Amino acid sequence: MESAISSILFYVFAAAAVLCAFGVVAFRNPVSSAMNMALCFGFTAAVYFGMGAQFLGIVQLIVYAGAILVLFLFIIMMLDIKAEEHARKSFPLACIAVIIAGIFAGFVTKVAISLPGATVGECPAIVLCESLGDLAPGSIAQKAATEGLAPYGSAMPELSPAAAAKALGADEATAAAATAFPDTKLLGQSLFTKYNIPFVILSFALLAGTVGAVALGRKLRKD
Amino acid sequence: MTPLAHYLIFSGILFSIGLAGVIIRKNIIVVFMCLEMMLSAANISLVAFSRAQGVNGIPVYDAQVLALFIVAIAAAEVAIGLALIVAMFRARKSVESSSLNTLKD
Repeated sequence: MESAISSILFYVFAAAAVLCAFGVVAFRNPVSSAMNMALCFGFTAAVYFGMGAQFLGIVQLIVYAGAILVLFLFIIMMLDIKAEEHARKSFPLACIAVIIAGIFAGFVTKVAISLPGATVGECPAIVLCESLGDLAPGSIAQKAATEGLAPYGSAMPELSPAAAAKALGADEATAAAATAFPDTKLLGQSLFTKYNIPFVILSFALLAGTVGAVALGRKLRKD
Repeated sequence: MTPLAHYLIFSGILFSIGLAGVIIRKNIIVVFMCLEMMLSAANISLVAFSRAQGVNGIPVYDAQVLALFIVAIAAAEVAIGLALIVAMFRARKSVESSSLNTLKD
């Protein structure tokens, strides 16, 4: 019952996000485009929450809809951009763009459908590894059965709080009693141990971005 | 729950709408907005794969870490890109992409 509502909600939010994406492209007023983009990011964050990626959902809302969008609105207001005149729209260019976008979406759909196991709900990476001989066939399914997880082959494997607690270092008794799925803690565990160096380098990249933005935005004095 | 393919198709549709926007629109700021939507669409497919590979009860977080890095780099890119747009506006007094025509014949 819960997973049925969850999948219905995914389709609702995905359709709303696609509609808002159309709105970004279609509206002539750039402020309307920005508002539609905010809604698109909000619905994308809802899709992330539905997938169980709670930290990334919040980051999407805070950084994309809350910082990047506001930057765009700052610049639109500061430069006082008016709406585009409709005489500028050229129909042949719009047709070419729709054809190119349609071809690309068709490619992605074809690849997504033909990934082994993707439409049934098995993980393509595991199916590929099994077919190449790196994994013994059926070993993952057996492991899932012995650990009491959802049967392998259901769409999008279930998240188990017990496995998460064990990954964070709890013992068997407290792991079995865990109820909430600690998405942020697990992400932090991976980010600050395995990806610690890229994380520090990312901070340098942000510093370079800040300095660059200030340097590019200066008014050059004509001495 | 929904199969993995549906998440990938959703990500592909958002990406292609952003691509169409980059080609169609003349206003540079709206072109930039569609570019950000393309990055966000790529993030969706990363998170979907991360969740789909989690057969032990927890997702594989490598892809979600990459998605986090992409969000941070997108923020830095927007800052620099908008500073460039402001510089362009000061030089050309317009934000149409057709106003950047000094290299044209």
